[in-house]
Amino acid sequence: MSARRKGTRLSADTLRFSFDGRTFTAQVGDTAASALLAAGVKAMGRSVKYRRLRGVMTAGPEEPNALLTVGAAPANIPNVPATQLKLSDGMVLQTQNRWPSLRFDLTALLQLGSAYFGAGFYYKTFILPKWRFWEGMIRRLAGLGNAPGRSDLPAPSLEHTHCDVLVAGAGPAGLAAALAAARNGARVVLAEREPAVGGELEFETAKIEGRSAGEWTCAALGELTRLGARVLTDTTLVGGSTGEMVLHTETAGMPGPARLIKIRPTALVIATGAVERMIAFTDNDRPGVYLLGAAERYLARYGVAVGQRLVLFANHDRVYLAAARLAAGGMTIAAILDTRVSGAQSDAARSAAAELTARGTACLAGHAVIAARGRRAVSAAVVAPVADPARMQSLACDAILVSGGWGPVIHAALQEGGTKRFDETLSAFVATDASDWRVTAGSANGAISLAAALKEGVNAGVAAAARAQRRGPMAAVPAASGDPEPHLQAYWRTPSDERAEKTQFVDPQNDVTVADLRSTLAEGFIDIEHVKRYTALGFGTDQAKFGGQLGAAIVAQLRGEPVPAVGTSRLRPPYHPVTLRSLAGHRVGAHLRPARVTPLHDWHLAQGAEMEAMGLWMRPRYYRANGSNATDAGIIEAGRVRTKGGIVDGSTLGKIEVAGPDAAAFLDAMYLSKASTIKVGRSKYMVNLREDGMVLDDGIVLRLSEERFLATVSTGHTDHMVSHFEHYRETEWASARLTLTDVTDAWAVIVVAGPESRAVLASLLGAQWQESLARLRHMDFATGLHDGHDLTVLRASFSGELAFELHCRPLIAKGLWEALVGAGLAPYGLEALDILRLEKGYLVSSELNGQTTPFDLGLDGLVALGNPCVGRDLLDRPAFREPHRPRLVGLRASDGKSRFLGGAQLTEDAVSAVPVGYVTSTAYSPALGEWIGLAFVSRAVPEGATLHVRDPLRGDNTTVKVVSPVHYDPKSDRMKS
Amino acid sequence: MSRLICPFCGPRELREFEFHKTLPNAGESPFERVYLRVDSLTLSVEHWQHVQGCRAWLQIERNPSTGEVLMTRLARSGEAP
Repeated sequence: MSARRKGTRLSADTLRFSFDGRTFTAQVGDTAASALLAAGVKAMGRSVKYRRLRGVMTAGPEEPNALLTVGAAPANIPNVPATQLKLSDGMVLQTQNRWPSLRFDLTALLQLGSAYFGAGFYYKTFILPKWRFWEGMIRRLAGLGNAPGRSDLPAPSLEHTHCDVLVAGAGPAGLAAALAAARNGARVVLAEREPAVGGELEFETAKIEGRSAGEWTCAALGELTRLGARVLTDTTLVGGSTGEMVLHTETAGMPGPARLIKIRPTALVIATGAVERMIAFTDNDRPGVYLLGAAERYLARYGVAVGQRLVLFANHDRVYLAAARLAAGGMTIAAILDTRVSGAQSDAARSAAAELTARGTACLAGHAVIAARGRRAVSAAVVAPVADPARMQSLACDAILVSGGWGPVIHAALQEGGTKRFDETLSAFVATDASDWRVTAGSANGAISLAAALKEGVNAGVAAAARAQRRGPMAAVPAASGDPEPHLQAYWRTPSDERAEKTQFVDPQNDVTVADLRSTLAEGFIDIEHVKRYTALGFGTDQAKFGGQLGAAIVAQLRGEPVPAVGTSRLRPPYHPVTLRSLAGHRVGAHLRPARVTPLHDWHLAQGAEMEAMGLWMRPRYYRANGSNATDAGIIEAGRVRTKGGIVDGSTLGKIEVAGPDAAAFLDAMYLSKASTIKVGRSKYMVNLREDGMVLDDGIVLRLSEERFLATVSTGHTDHMVSHFEHYRETEWASARLTLTDVTDAWAVIVVAGPESRAVLASLLGAQWQESLARLRHMDFATGLHDGHDLTVLRASFSGELAFELHCRPLIAKGLWEALVGAGLAPYGLEALDILRLEKGYLVSSELNGQTTPFDLGLDGLVALGNPCVGRDLLDRPAFREPHRPRLVGLRASDGKSRFLGGAQLTEDAVSAVPVGYVTSTAYSPALGEWIGLAFVSRAVPEGATLHVRDPLRGDNTTVKVVSPVHYDPKSDRMKS
Repeated sequence: MSRLICPFCGPRELREFEFHKTLPNAGESPFERVYLRVDSLTLSVEHWQHVQGCRAWLQIERNPSTGEVLMTRLARSGEAP
């Protein structure tokens, strides 16, 4: 490597990185693009469709070609623009879209057929025998890079914050705005996408307030820091809406973690600058074609000359200033092509051209680059007068620098609800600042000259601060001499015959050419949004930043309409690619959401329970000692409950205490049957309805005293049920004397079930409980103390066996549980619980699915009680009584052994496509020795009928018999024993 | 509408609140109260709960076309929905 380069971004320290297996040396501060260009590497990838060799074209996030993969699979990071990739020592980089190597790419044979690969080619061509036959082959070739298998990036952070004024972009306008706002006392956050502030000031030969641009920038930064402004570099405004803006920091290879800041400013200044536009000419995608501003950036920031002999091609005055700066950097300007004829040029342009011509640089007015020559890299530019394109001449060069003007970056303004208008002097869309809290300033607003940008910045900063009630006298606009107005004349593509349009690239990342746009319009896709979707114009990592405006303008030309009539496709967030990892923040894996655990959680884990999430709750599904999978273990655990007994942790059960003089009347309105008729010390199975009459939930309600009730609700429904009750208390029952308290966590619940349950409890609980245990009838409960703590013993059963629910304080739960285990009762999990309830035909959320009425569930008796509760009125709708309504039934396999599963459809014969019902739950019943299920089946299907289970995805196709939903102990003798 | 002003907690992020329903405005029969709504471009009267805050039930009037919140108050101070 040659002598150290000097640039505003570089330090003298060196580092090494590898690129496609070769090792390179770079300087600290280099991007991959600058280091590779400095080393003479031009080719940095191949295009996605035609596999054309491509080099870097830009120096920013709009880069369409040089997308690299950082690191090795599976922790690779694909599609990182080389222009944004800050190098670190030892970094491993690879090119994409080539096989086996970038230089020798077999898939480049695709280029031979490129004449046929227009827009929609794949979908039109690979129709026979069918698309799916070809899809796998095509998918291997398609796409950008390879998705990573895992991420080794450090955990990203998420910050919520606010400020008076958020300024996005720290170029001249942004710096001026931030300074003005901060001087007026506003709390300012200044976000800059690049690692350093200054924007164009980094390479403009400007003077501001008598100082050089660089000195002014340093001074501005110092003052901002003193005034307490927060300056965030490497931080991009990627989106936002309704007042909340999202800032994102994520630079591949940066040591720190990604960061997402959700910030709420009182006022927003958008000073996000403008992206330079390409001009479409033949083979304008060859390595060696650059945007003009990119060449200036590489020179100023990294001391890199993108070429030794340059052809400059533009449609505005700025090209002459750039030429002077590039020449000062040691590059030879072979020619400057200005698309404007001499008469249309500004005076400044004419005099600059004359001066350059006198020093030996050819300045050709009214000329354009017709084509680039050279296969692997540009070797010459074919140029001709715009008015007479046949008069071509070839100019030897190693780089063509193009500038077709600038497209203001107005993403943030539009995403935030703004509209756009077409600025004729700039031939570009700018935002219309309709909102008083959002101001666009600088080149983002079409103010390309330095003086105008600074003035707009100051005004925007003052206005933004004022909105935050920070007003001050200072609003001086710094005097500046910098790049003046560009006097641009719109120019989008050079003349060519239609055949040559096939390599006039508009959006190189998606290989969209002028020919594609023409054929797309010919096929009837007129709207720019349709053009985008048919050609992929503006898709991909650069999201239309590079080719969007150019494409829309050429569509307008082809349609013979003005550009504003075509508009641009919608600019959606995020502004640049954001990894899912940084959006997820810390909310991954176990941190996705909080877990709720019962007081017995640690015991379950210690005893080898396989846990299952139910909502936020963690519950044991089965204990591994009983089997290696849920089905096997569940059968053993459930069988044991019926023969001997068992215990299950029911602490997650939702519990709502309803108290007050109006508690009974309130609950009467909430449930299908009356709570007011429950006697103190008794409980009742009750069902809630939604206001439309569908069953919402079920549970047992205990009357603790005249004015106190405990309503139990399903684990998964608890939050909703609390809100449901609270809503009625706060609206229709607002004047009722009533309190609602969610006491779910205040009570642990241990269910003791099975024929031995009473005897075991009698042996464990003290003398004062013996009388209660003997006396309690089904649905009775008793309260008292155990170990000095409150205990409620409720005789109720969800298993069909004699069973008791112990509602105890969490403090004594573990002691009670261990004593029960010690007394010979084995714990069972959710799997067994589900088998037991299914054998008895009890309902869970599979049946209470929000689509079932009390009639469907066989609860007609409860409706007949006539309690005028919530939802009762709409139960009278005739449709609820129609014969096609579903009805809860039981199912048994016709052969007494076949398996069938929940979710399967039921039909009347093996060929019918019309289901008469569906299976909600199934299990293998150890008590019955066969598969049983619950299902909803049309009322027209009688008990005893045979139905076909149709389960094509899982293949469990069998026939079943319709039986009563209560499979086991239909008279409930065991439960009441 | 990205923030609501809770009468107890002040301006809070929308994500702390849960939408419950648009209030009945199409008639008094049970069917009309549950199923029918007269939509307006400029006014929607709704019940929300500050679920991840003080759990207050709020009655909110807002302009659905602009997202502007026109009024926020506790649901219980109003007449029955």
